[in-house]
Amino acid sequence: MNRLVAALGLALLLAAPDAHAYEFWLHAQTIGQAYDVPQYTLAGPYLLLGRRRITQTLALRIDDVGDLAAERRKSRLPERGLRISLQMYLRVDHDFGDFTSGQMILPGPVVRDALDVIPELGESVAALDLMYGYVQLDGLVDDRLRIQLGRVLADDGWGTTAFDGGAAQFQVAGPIQVGASAGLRVRASSPLGNSAYELDGTSGAGCEEYIAGATPGTGSWQLIDRNRTITNNTLSSDYEYCPQRDVAQPSVGVTIAAVRAKHFSAELGYRRTWSSTVEQVGPAQGVDQPTQPLYPSEFPGELPGSGVDEERVYGRVMAKLDANGVEIDPYADARYSVVGAVFDRADAGVRVRAGGSVIEPAVEYFYPTFDADSIFNAFSIEPTTDLRLDYRYDDHGPWRATADAWVRHYGHEDGEPSLAGGGDAGIDRAIAGGLRAKVDVLADDGWGGARFGGGGEAAWQNARDLWLRGRVIVLGVRDDDASLYKDYVTSSTVVSGTLKVADYVAVHAIAEADYDAVHQLQMRVIGVLDLAFMPEP
Amino acid sequence: MRRIAFILVLLAGAAVLADNGSDGTEWSPVVYPTQRLPLVFSHRKHLARGMQCIQCHTTAASSRSAVDNLIPTEVPCRACHAIERDKPDKQATPVAACTGCHAGFQPDRPVQRVYLTPPPIKFDHSAHGKSPCEKCHGDIRAVDLATTRQLPTMASCLECHTDGAEERHCADCHLTKLGGMIETHFEFGTLEPRRDGHGPGFLRDHVEPARAPGATCTACHDRSECIDCHQGTVKPMDFHVGNYLLVHATEARRGTPDCSACHRYESFCVGCHERAGLGTRGLSAFDANDPSKRFHPQGWSSTTKNLALNQHAQEARRNISSCSSCHREEDCLACHSAEPTNAVQASPHPKDWRASAQCRAQYRGNKRMCLRCHITPTQMGCDW
Repeated sequence: MNRLVAALGLALLLAAPDAHAYEFWLHAQTIGQAYDVPQYTLAGPYLLLGRRRITQTLALRIDDVGDLAAERRKSRLPERGLRISLQMYLRVDHDFGDFTSGQMILPGPVVRDALDVIPELGESVAALDLMYGYVQLDGLVDDRLRIQLGRVLADDGWGTTAFDGGAAQFQVAGPIQVGASAGLRVRASSPLGNSAYELDGTSGAGCEEYIAGATPGTGSWQLIDRNRTITNNTLSSDYEYCPQRDVAQPSVGVTIAAVRAKHFSAELGYRRTWSSTVEQVGPAQGVDQPTQPLYPSEFPGELPGSGVDEERVYGRVMAKLDANGVEIDPYADARYSVVGAVFDRADAGVRVRAGGSVIEPAVEYFYPTFDADSIFNAFSIEPTTDLRLDYRYDDHGPWRATADAWVRHYGHEDGEPSLAGGGDAGIDRAIAGGLRAKVDVLADDGWGGARFGGGGEAAWQNARDLWLRGRVIVLGVRDDDASLYKDYVTSSTVVSGTLKVADYVAVHAIAEADYDAVHQLQMRVIGVLDLAFMPEP
Repeated sequence: MRRIAFILVLLAGAAVLADNGSDGTEWSPVVYPTQRLPLVFSHRKHLARGMQCIQCHTTAASSRSAVDNLIPTEVPCRACHAIERDKPDKQATPVAACTGCHAGFQPDRPVQRVYLTPPPIKFDHSAHGKSPCEKCHGDIRAVDLATTRQLPTMASCLECHTDGAEERHCADCHLTKLGGMIETHFEFGTLEPRRDGHGPGFLRDHVEPARAPGATCTACHDRSECIDCHQGTVKPMDFHVGNYLLVHATEARRGTPDCSACHRYESFCVGCHERAGLGTRGLSAFDANDPSKRFHPQGWSSTTKNLALNQHAQEARRNISSCSSCHREEDCLACHSAEPTNAVQASPHPKDWRASAQCRAQYRGNKRMCLRCHITPTQMGCDW
């Protein structure tokens, strides 16, 4: 027996891989929040629902897994060859105040948990979200190939989304690089998924089922679980029985880009996301009734096997040029929705810098599009065009200034187009003793309402371990036709501070007091314990 | 629109013609802080006599780090200059008096020291041995005292290292923190890319640089910093200033700034609005069918096709996102669906819809959307 143990121990010793002490960086934040959310009533004072939230974040980077680049680093050589790293961001968000955990008294009277009536609140009740998490392989194929595997962040042509799969980027020759990505788009129903990445407009998609009528083509869409015991149907929700919202959405994307080709960059990209059609819904989905078709399928070829959720082509060009000391950075972007047959985003502008001044005229075009499952695509038909002019001043001296002006033109199919416009400006100055002061003003008018007001701010920093900041804002709002209130003035006072307790350890505290005639006084308090953990290598 | 495009093209064209390629040509005060060089010396004269740099900077060829002090000591000077410390006023050719090099030298006072802060970058002189010194040190043959102006800028490095500005190569020169990100905070300031939107308008200005092909944001920033703001759980106090919970309606109706850059209407907005009593499924004191309990103004919606009584149509056409922050598709379908049981059947489609490319593209791409309203084959597609 002893021999066996000894032999086993020796075998384990010989087989054991070398120990590696990996470099890692970890940033954790514990965030506590308490504030009020009004619950509007027609008569009497508004209820203020207490919202209490605690959020724990964890951002982790492990660099050079396997010490593959360690020797080159020790030899002070540029890092080349295979390097493996891990990057991830986890977040636990817990909402435990009256806002989510409270109850609602419905007509009847029926008392139900707010969460049952409004399932969307579940997003933050006890959410564990993997915002991203992937293994990255750099330096492959003579340092020209990068691969990411896991929950990868991806470009949809205008912003960032996420999918579970892989992405690769390959430097072809000179400035030309190509990229490809494939995987399942992250949805609220994905494992550790977050709805923020999901295509918008699909909350109701498939939340009803088609109930056939007496003859084909005479049916109607109805709540899926009609056997559910609901006292008041108008207050019920079938949100949790949306099988089309749980279907996997495969997504592929390709790009070709010229990066920094003599001060010029350009990219052309394509992304397509689709999903198969849910045909049946029944007990397997937790529905208390016999299995039935979800969509109308009474005529040959009526029900598609799958549908495209997004299909977009986008392009962007930009340059960084200089003319006698003046920096000129022109840019243009455009995105075309193939499934909507419209350009849904476009902009063009030029950022010109001379000394400490930057001026940027730009034009922006927007045609709202949604997940192609959503009927909102059929309603949204009037694009907007904005003209902007922004100015910045910062010569690294005591003064800094910003000024922005914009005009928005709304397309209108049936009549005269309407406009909105406005501007804001701010100026701040560093004063002796670590003190900085700022004033800013804001005014806008047109479609949506009018606002005018301003604010003052003072910030103070002491010896790099204590920051204090205070801000007062007064804003008048009027004539918001579709809004609950027509005219009101609101004020807000914010006091915040950051104390650096030790290296890489800080505490932030923010208190906000808002006052307006409608809600009277509302408070918001936020506290953050900020830990950036970086052990010795 | 055409005029603006023309002006932009004109500006870009003029800039191309005048381009002198000075991106990154400035000497960063963070990398090269203010020097103190209380010396009298002429590189111009010494090099004009045929001297080689290495004769004085004897350790340069073997140096492997930017922190190495490569300033010559008195030793190489003595090879030509007959310096005698006990004879500070010694007259000789070439000059041997202390004041010949140390301006303002006084025998009874300490010599003013040269003060050079090592640049916080990686640099290996020995790996650049094949390049002539002037390649990096510019007009060294034309100046007397060498200052930071004769040290390489990032732009001069990129003349040879043509792919050096790519994110994967930032750490070739820049110091890194654990985790592989570039260290940006130093004693003399913070390293910031001047042209990439960093500055007083960063919240608005970073959009284009972040979207640029080959953007290098993540060389210095962890992606969690983007998430904390764009998909965060805390109201960004500098962006949504003041009592934003109350005043956000104006911006949401306009759609500016673009709410969808951070928020998904169908979950973020709906959940909160329902709880606040402003939705259509949760508890609400408002009732569209009761004039005394109406939320939207009179004439906002009706069960007829009369546009004058359906002002919501304009709102929906130009910014249905604001509608979708409270309403779900089912609310629209109640009147707009073409299913036989619906008495209203108000079509939301614009004129000549069925002849449009949009109709064909949407029908070809995803029939499921069409099926939400149209059920019979005679109403499906764009050719009926």
